[in-house]
Amino acid sequence: MRKKQCVAMLLAGGQGSRLGILTKNVAKPAVPYGGKYRIIDFPLSNCTNSGIDVVGVLTQYRPLELNAYIGSGSPWDLDLSNGGVYVLPPYHSGKTGEWYKGTANAIYQNIPFIAQWDPEYVLVLSGDHIYKMDYNAMLQSHIANGADLTIAVREVPWAEAPRFGILNTDEHNQITEFEEKPKHPKSNKASMGVYIFTWSKMRKYLEQDELNPNSENDFGKNIIPDMLADNQKLFTYTFDGYWKDVGTIESLWEANMDLLEMPMPIDLYDARWRIYARNPGMPPHYVAEGAKVVNSLITEGCEVRGVVNHSVLFAGVTVETGAEITDAVIMPGAVIERGAVVRRAIVGENAHICAGAVVGEETGLIAVVGPKAEIASGDKVAAGVQIDADAQ
Amino acid sequence: MKDVMGLIFTGENDIHLGELTSLRAVAALPIAGRYRVIDFQLSSMVHTGIKNVGVITQKNYQSLMDHIGSGREWDLHGKQGLTILPPFLTRENMGVYAGLLDALNSNRNFLRLSTQEYIVVTNSHTVYNADFSEAIQQHIDTGADITLVYSKSLKSTDTENATYISVDENKTVTGMEIGPMVPTREGAFMKIYIAKRELLRQLVEQAAANGLHDFDRDIVQRAINDGTLKICGYEYTDLAAQIDSIQSYFNFNMSLQNDEVRRQLFPAERPVYTKVRDDMPARYNNEGKSSNSLVGNGCIIEGTVINSVLFRGVKVAKGAVVKNSIVMQDAQIQEGAEIDHCILDKQSVIRRNGRLIAPAAYPIVIAKNVVI
Repeated sequence: MRKKQCVAMLLAGGQGSRLGILTKNVAKPAVPYGGKYRIIDFPLSNCTNSGIDVVGVLTQYRPLELNAYIGSGSPWDLDLSNGGVYVLPPYHSGKTGEWYKGTANAIYQNIPFIAQWDPEYVLVLSGDHIYKMDYNAMLQSHIANGADLTIAVREVPWAEAPRFGILNTDEHNQITEFEEKPKHPKSNKASMGVYIFTWSKMRKYLEQDELNPNSENDFGKNIIPDMLADNQKLFTYTFDGYWKDVGTIESLWEANMDLLEMPMPIDLYDARWRIYARNPGMPPHYVAEGAKVVNSLITEGCEVRGVVNHSVLFAGVTVETGAEITDAVIMPGAVIERGAVVRRAIVGENAHICAGAVVGEETGLIAVVGPKAEIASGDKVAAGVQIDADAQ
Repeated sequence: MKDVMGLIFTGENDIHLGELTSLRAVAALPIAGRYRVIDFQLSSMVHTGIKNVGVITQKNYQSLMDHIGSGREWDLHGKQGLTILPPFLTRENMGVYAGLLDALNSNRNFLRLSTQEYIVVTNSHTVYNADFSEAIQQHIDTGADITLVYSKSLKSTDTENATYISVDENKTVTGMEIGPMVPTREGAFMKIYIAKRELLRQLVEQAAANGLHDFDRDIVQRAINDGTLKICGYEYTDLAAQIDSIQSYFNFNMSLQNDEVRRQLFPAERPVYTKVRDDMPARYNNEGKSSNSLVGNGCIIEGTVINSVLFRGVKVAKGAVVKNSIVMQDAQIQEGAEIDHCILDKQSVIRRNGRLIAPAAYPIVIAKNVVI
């Protein structure tokens, strides 16, 4: 393996329990978004577009669908002889071996993987955000600052700052203090969970942290405070593009609805920064005579005979005559039968809404029909309710 | 079907496709909203389990090579995988093939170096979504030397090259007519041949040594007439369409508005593979409207689309109307423009308030990159 300047490590092991039924059987990064993507397409495509071609994906929770989705990495041009995407589950070695205990421990356990590439820098990413970011620009800023750690930040509205990990800096963007969810924030620079470490420093702090039995082995709680305490050089890098955490049902729904805004707050037509995805190989979508599609995204393989208003339809969705879909996200392969009504809802992969059923309400929380769940004819799913196929 | 190789001949006559094939081979002609014609033959081979496919190219093969690439989209990037066989000049070979026989003879090394027992040879202008396994099994069971795949429903508009066969109850071909004024045999030959690879190679070398040029006339028809080879027919009963003229191209694309045609051509278990473009889903705004139409990813629909096929990345601006038309990728119909019975090639532009209304019997073709 030839030397790489920078290696990316993508933390994809979390359950994402706030996504409820949608992540009951799949890891959060494999959750569908935007009509044809999965969340992980964003960090993977960002890596490819930034010229970073070694990506370790750390999996732990329900990895099968995610593993199959990543496959050889060819959709992201990450099937390379020297480099590429590697799925890294926790493993057993001799007498030791354990689950990933925390974000820092997950990287710690993969020190041998990183060391193979003899990198100067390590980029740490998470698999729960929708954004287009040039990691190379951040890397250049890290190098120019001579930093040991650079943390990507967004300037959030001051009122929201208490919800985030906030970084206080001097006038040169050097970090002086890190506060997790401060009641009285001194800055509005919120951490995005995107880090670039100088590898030698990262390795040292990971090994040191592992020796501390009281540590939670977490970047935010342990590694960053330790480095600050030792007067290491920590800098922020400000990102001002579209960025959306899709960690909850409401935010996942909102992020999909954002794509229906004119102009789109995140430009997915941008030929210079394509977001790549595995392709299901379906024919163009078909809209029948008498169907109506307004202000919506429709993906290949869809057959629309009913009414679709302000919604996002993923590949292979069927909307029968007289069905009405409003403000909804309909994931791949779902069927909305004749006369069914879906409002303010997320309908999971291959779910089936039978004739005349009603899902969601005009106001209130988002209703969710889990993957493969079936809503019987005439049944109603109220706002905020989640239907689990396994419980049926 | 592991012991089978495939060969696609893309050098056929395309004179009736006019402008559509002036800069590309028929095989590379965009079709059905996101595919190229060759995707159907290639995908059929892949669904038969064939892992070694040669594509014999003739003229204008740059766009074809760009499309096929390493064959990855068809899972043909393996050890054998996909081989593109461009024409080449040697002492015996002028670089332009007189026909299939000539092309096979020029590529006899590829035939010799392949290891599979059987070979399926197809043309590149008949569209179907097939699994040839059953036809190959029939070929083995009947002990045929060559099996010809035919259809009773396939229509040709290129009458000079249309070939018909008659088949008896033992599947034996009893007669063949090439380019008849009025066909008297009911089996329209789909130009799909199945044979043992070695036998095919020997037949080709022998015929070439005798100065013969036409595979169908000089080998197949002759063998049927004098009984020197056992030629059998396999009836293909699913949907097949011949893309051999502007009208047949237009009609085929329009036929996709029919649910049954889409079901037969795009069954979930046999996807048609093609080059991926990574477009986002198609987007409709408040005024966008489509009816009885196929629309590819990456389209932006702000106007009205009726009875049409839109390829990936087409823009239909506010107030524009697209009716009974085929619009290839990245073409634009600007504000207030209207087209009816048109075929817009890639990246063509109909300017603001432009109108192009053609008669149903004679669709207008707007060439690639043309701005009107």
